Amino acid sequence: MSYSTFNRKHFDSTKEPMFFGENVNVARYDQQKHPIFEKLIEKQLSFFWRPEEVDLSTDRKDFQRLEEHEQHIFLSNLKYQTLLDSVQGRSPNVALLPIVSLPELETWIETWSFSETIHSRSYTHIIRNIVNDPTKIFDDIVTNEEITKRADSVSKYYDRLIEMVNLYNTMGMGTFDVPGKGPIEISMPKLKKALYLTIASVNVLEAIRFYVSFACSFAFAERTLMEGNAKIIKLIARDEALHLTGTQHMLNLMASGKDDPEMAVIAAECQDEVRQIFIEAAEQEKEWATYLFKDGSMIGLNAQILGQYVEYITNVRMQAVGFETCFTTKHNPIPWINAWLVSDNVQVAPQEAEISSYLVGQTDNSLDDSDFDDFDL
Amino acid sequence: MTSTSKPKAPEKKEQVHRVLLGKKQILVTEDEPLLVQLERAGIHVEYQCREGYCSSCSIKLLWGNVIYPFEPLAWVQSGYLLACCAIVKSDIEIAFFD
Repeated sequence: MSYSTFNRKHFDSTKEPMFFGENVNVARYDQQKHPIFEKLIEKQLSFFWRPEEVDLSTDRKDFQRLEEHEQHIFLSNLKYQTLLDSVQGRSPNVALLPIVSLPELETWIETWSFSETIHSRSYTHIIRNIVNDPTKIFDDIVTNEEITKRADSVSKYYDRLIEMVNLYNTMGMGTFDVPGKGPIEISMPKLKKALYLTIASVNVLEAIRFYVSFACSFAFAERTLMEGNAKIIKLIARDEALHLTGTQHMLNLMASGKDDPEMAVIAAECQDEVRQIFIEAAEQEKEWATYLFKDGSMIGLNAQILGQYVEYITNVRMQAVGFETCFTTKHNPIPWINAWLVSDNVQVAPQEAEISSYLVGQTDNSLDDSDFDDFDL
Repeated sequence: MTSTSKPKAPEKKEQVHRVLLGKKQILVTEDEPLLVQLERAGIHVEYQCREGYCSSCSIKLLWGNVIYPFEPLAWVQSGYLLACCAIVKSDIEIAFFD
């Protein structure tokens, strides 16, 4: 079947599965199969912020005063964050939009990706502010071996799904010989498996990899260094927490079979593989911690502590999607991170920028003239 | 608005419930979510958003009842509660990790 940007069939989209049903036609949100995605969209929109709202002039001075190994930690961490959001800013769109079947989920995917592009733009804002030549930093993201290793593991499930969906949309079902890749079997179970593993790996990216990088950003701010950067990361962390919830909902809806009974069977079959994705990511993040601190630690954080945090956060996240925990670390080795992650103090005054409860231009239409009866001028 | 105060009916007895956590026991009321009350009792709970969308404060609920005045955005697994927005409605037992 080939993708259509406006499916002419007449069907009830509330009876479609999240993915691999009919292509979405009318973008309507008055009726929803899974209202949670509409709620996530509204929340995400209320979070809107712009990187330029955060002043980074002190960060530039701070950065120049950092020791060389601390600059390495800061920049490597920033490069990693840039990589993660480069992937997340486009991949949900490219991979998931051609196969999504619910209008509210389609729009959630777009809203989610869009917010990742704000994150990417904020890394440029940060890098431009602290160094004279941003190109050196951006170029290193595609050449630095430690970073590219990560790029491979965060993009391979997406790439696989995209490749399979492309074949499915042009050729349909069957086994196809792809030059340089050999035969690729396209069947609904195979496609759904590729999708489930992709969402699982995105969940790991958002739930573990991002948080490891947040820990590093906040460790500087704990020492009252690079605080503008920490403010931005705080806004990013708030968005990521919401994205993570979106992915957890997708995974749990799939696994429960409530959305698509066939998906539940596939989710059950994939349990070992998903568990392995979690463990592999945790191991990679620990290796990354060693690379970050190879030339020296910083006050409050070293490879060992960050490694323990990786284990801890992996346990928490595995439990959140119904897995047994797999590491021995049961306590958060950096409890101070919560104070940085907490979203309710992201901004002090609503007029300065967005806080979640503040809606721009909100008026109360339930007032009438009688409400002003008590006023005397 | 001024209210013509009737002689106060004996105030509704404040509902206090026991929260068991391992060997600890904490008394909580129905006035506030569980998270703040656990924190006040000196128990460290993970948190991030504190408004029900991030699921960082998800805790195992071994038995007992909690309710959510507003349905949280985060997925609450069966057998778990979201401490930041759960109101305890009976004696409960909770646990962090196995």
